[in-house]
Amino acid sequence: MEFTTLISYVIAFFSLFTLNVYILLFLKHRNEYLKRPESNGQTPTISIIMPAYNEGPYIEESIRCLFTLDYPADKLEIIVVDDGSTDDTGRVAKSLEGGPIRLHVFRKENGGKGAALNYGLKKAKGEFIATMDADSYVTEGTIRELLPYFKDPDVMAVSPAVKIRPGGSWLRELQRVEYLMILFSRKLLSFIESVPVTPGPFSMFRASVFDKVGPFDENNLVEDQEIALRIQSHNYKIKSSMTAAVYTEPPDNMKDLLTQRVRWQRGGFRNYWRYRRMIHPEYGDFGMYAIPMQFATLASFFTLLGLLLYMMLTTPYYVRYIWFEAFGMSVDLVTLVAVFVVLVSTFFLYLAVKSFDGEKVKLRYFVTFIVFYWYLMLGYNVLFLLKEIRKEGFSW
Amino acid sequence: MRRTISVPLYVGAFLMSLAIFIVGIYIGSTMDSSHLASISEDVSSVSDRVASVQLLILMEGNSSAFCPAYSSELDAIDREVERMGYMLSYLEDEKGVYDNELKKKYFVLEAESYLLSRKVGSLCGGGSVLLINFYSNKRCDNCKAQGTEVLKARDELAADGIDVKLFSFDGDLNSSVADALAAQYSIDSYPSVVIDGKTYAGYRSSDELTALIKGQT
Repeated sequence: MEFTTLISYVIAFFSLFTLNVYILLFLKHRNEYLKRPESNGQTPTISIIMPAYNEGPYIEESIRCLFTLDYPADKLEIIVVDDGSTDDTGRVAKSLEGGPIRLHVFRKENGGKGAALNYGLKKAKGEFIATMDADSYVTEGTIRELLPYFKDPDVMAVSPAVKIRPGGSWLRELQRVEYLMILFSRKLLSFIESVPVTPGPFSMFRASVFDKVGPFDENNLVEDQEIALRIQSHNYKIKSSMTAAVYTEPPDNMKDLLTQRVRWQRGGFRNYWRYRRMIHPEYGDFGMYAIPMQFATLASFFTLLGLLLYMMLTTPYYVRYIWFEAFGMSVDLVTLVAVFVVLVSTFFLYLAVKSFDGEKVKLRYFVTFIVFYWYLMLGYNVLFLLKEIRKEGFSW
Repeated sequence: MRRTISVPLYVGAFLMSLAIFIVGIYIGSTMDSSHLASISEDVSSVSDRVASVQLLILMEGNSSAFCPAYSSELDAIDREVERMGYMLSYLEDEKGVYDNELKKKYFVLEAESYLLSRKVGSLCGGGSVLLINFYSNKRCDNCKAQGTEVLKARDELAADGIDVKLFSFDGDLNSSVADALAAQYSIDSYPSVVIDGKTYAGYRSSDELTALIKGQT
């Protein structure tokens, strides 16, 4: 067997295996993935920390959404940390003081999101902490759906269903499908205690967790993932909800999207590398499956890319005379596995989208997503690699 | 919390993947053999067509009355033969799938169509240059490259209005027909090309080949 064939078989098997893990998780938990634990009726105090840097256009709506939360208003406090904005963010936030929920607006020198979050943590008095972006919009049920997960004393954080509101550009719609897919797979991973992120747009924490594992990392590209890995490294649980909807504003042009994703990819990779010691049976499924899978996925992606390039460069000259026949003859195990993976993933994606209340995706976006997502991944993975190799500085 | 490893989950996923893999390998190999089978059928049907042309020539002797019919039928046959050759090469080079008996059968057909083309060429006044590429996959490092150069030369010449018909023979196959042709053209090294009956040993770039062919015509 040729070396290239062997490599392609290994990658095909790996993709198939990953997909099958998701399928089995889904089959096992198909009756519970949309349910949450019963509420115990308690209403602990919750501090909502909202760091904001130049979020003038969004912050008012973001705060007004908090006013609609289905939760006793006297148990909530909102802490806006104006991270040295140069626009009217602070003024807009201040103008909303005196609303149904206590609102404190603090201003500090610009120091990055991690620092702003930690500043907010010092001011927060709640038994639970919610962190959120100033361009995120909670729904009335967000807290109600998240809180019951904390009945389990090992649960230190819960991530909600961060979604994008429908409508707008096709790029927005594609990200919308992607977010739903990510949510679905994250929910499935939560059944093996392998949630790798507490999303920046909105996450809820038990306040004591920050005493136990420390505050946010102030020098991290993706501090919302780092804190999750750190919580996991202390063997606490992070849960994920499909029903606690929070909406966020995605990048709405290709350049911003690529910048965001390259940041996620670079920061994510560095954080996983930093916590590589967790690849150990002591960390259960998270250590022996979730983390290795991250590295393996990245490795397969680049190997596959190299393999495709190699195959393109070594295509014999005569193939140009039999393109059509060669296409037919090139169908092999790997092609069949790839077709299987794509078909089943498509079905899975369909299931994911269907699982969400009121989330409807137009067929054309669904299809575009299936066809073009690969290219998006290609773009940011290649950029990620180039920037890592050139040790380029970071930008938001 | 105490963490656990969901062994049954991974064993299950592994077994599912393995099952799909086995089915995939089975379907893949079935498809490979069906490709070989369909090429084999093509070889047989083209052989029949070659036989009819041979029969006509035997019947008509050296008369040139049937030339137009011979030539167009032979051109079509040669194109088919070339295409089948590429398909066999593709299966062998890219997928490691081959059938030596089929290759031998194919070389017989190729030799027949070559000899017929020579015969018809001399009988009717040939329009095409006949080029044989003798190669060896085992005893020759640059034979693959030579094959590409030959094709490039053919494509360049086609742009100048010179038609070249290609025939390739593998010297490793112990095919009696290929070996007989090699003996006839005194081939003792690989790669070697034969242009309209004249032997040139050693690697030639497409430019050299183009020049040789233009010099000969």
